[in-house]
Amino acid sequence: MSALMIKGLLFAAALIGATIYVVESMNIDLSDPINMITIIGAVAIAVITVSVAVKYINQMKTDTASGELADENWDGIGEYKNELPGGWAYSFLGTMIWAMWYMISGYPVNAFSQIGQYNEEVKAYNAKFEAVHKNADAATLQQMGESIFLVQCAPCHGATGDGLSGKAHDFTSRMSKAQILDVIKNGSNQLGYPMGAMPPMMAQGADAEAIATYIAGGMKGEQPASFAACASCHGADGKGMAGMSPNLAAYDATLIDHTLQNGKKGSLGKMPSFKTMITPVQEKALTVYIQSLAN
Amino acid sequence: MFHWLEKNPFFFAVGVFIVIAFAGLIEILPNFAEASRPVVGLKPYTVLELAGKEVYKKDNCLSCHSQLIRPFKAETDRYGQYSLSGEYAYDRPFLWGSKRTGPDLHRVGNYRTTDWHENHMWEPTDVVPGSIMPAYKHQFTNVADIETAYAEAVTVKNVFATPYGDEFQATKAAWEAHKPKVLADAQKIAADMKNKDIKEAVAAGNIPEVVALIAYLNRLK
Repeated sequence: MSALMIKGLLFAAALIGATIYVVESMNIDLSDPINMITIIGAVAIAVITVSVAVKYINQMKTDTASGELADENWDGIGEYKNELPGGWAYSFLGTMIWAMWYMISGYPVNAFSQIGQYNEEVKAYNAKFEAVHKNADAATLQQMGESIFLVQCAPCHGATGDGLSGKAHDFTSRMSKAQILDVIKNGSNQLGYPMGAMPPMMAQGADAEAIATYIAGGMKGEQPASFAACASCHGADGKGMAGMSPNLAAYDATLIDHTLQNGKKGSLGKMPSFKTMITPVQEKALTVYIQSLAN
Repeated sequence: MFHWLEKNPFFFAVGVFIVIAFAGLIEILPNFAEASRPVVGLKPYTVLELAGKEVYKKDNCLSCHSQLIRPFKAETDRYGQYSLSGEYAYDRPFLWGSKRTGPDLHRVGNYRTTDWHENHMWEPTDVVPGSIMPAYKHQFTNVADIETAYAEAVTVKNVFATPYGDEFQATKAAWEAHKPKVLADAQKIAADMKNKDIKEAVAAGNIPEVVALIAYLNRLK
């Protein structure tokens, strides 16, 4: 038995002894299988480390070079022409096969795509959103509508929906007199209602004034006779004949839908279409919120 | 087998370079070539829009506003469709920006209009209470430099083959022939504005900077 082997055995014994000392001094419960496995592992590590170290240190001491030296020589340092070890060779072959797969199908077909991840995320979110809010109650819709309004509508219509002193449409009432007179004068064909275009100059002078005053006043009291010109399309009650033409009295869902989808250019300015920005559920929420502003 | 290579450090280095570069080339080049093409339907900036782009750069909108919508749901909900590289094909230079003190502007033309910009550039807090954006009243009096914008269009046409058409030539006659189109564009914008001075200036042939800037912002879709 060589001196090295004896030193190694002594070192391993010392490690094992230290382990046992620690176990004893800390009162570790060896009936617990986890503790037992841990101690066996510690002993195994000591034995394996020492025996592997002894094996290779011995080999370094006794081994002599085998194999054929390559012709070239760098400042006295030579190189053997050894065969590549089997494990290395197979790993290399494996990487070549993997590279083929990666080039032909891995990268082009299965590559990670940021847009793909985005699409999946949006799809999953929308499905969840639709499921949760399919039958949302009025309070939820009101709250949702308010937050949509603050992001998408408030920059023009103001946080309270009052149109920022005439810079945009005022949601606290249906229409102002000036707006109504402008539509009567110029007609309108922007909202895409089934009834189609409203021709300009349906009423003039005092008639137009009377109509504007009546509608701006909330359509209360005596209906002016000249309102007959409006009633043929907007209905006698001004409610738009069930979605055939714009409702003059209130913000119904049809009116909000047509305005959001088509945008509008009126006497105050231009409103862009929000077709791509607002989903059907959001539109429903916005309708509830805008209706609450008018009251 | 490759011992000859070890004796030739130069060829060895070339070999290593080719092996490493190859992987990069097959992954980067095809994507790059595809993404840098203009998206279908993209038109080069009109001269008025280019003049507005110069105002955008001059007044340094870039330092507070980005022009790049990332593919995250929170961003596309607020700003619209995420940006594609092909949309910037005629941006020289692109104005992506790197800081959002204000909102992203890459699709501002979809949800803001001429009259809104007019109110906002005059006094931002009139339309956005609490906004920290400064007012840009000087844009209502400064005159946009459409001659330089035209020269820029001709330059990018000649240097980068931007499809501007044959009428864009580096001659005075060509500019005189094109100028009415620029004024007509400006008049369309001014018609939607309420400021009387702006309307008068445009009618007299002087385009205020704000008109050019609005033309540029409306174009961002």
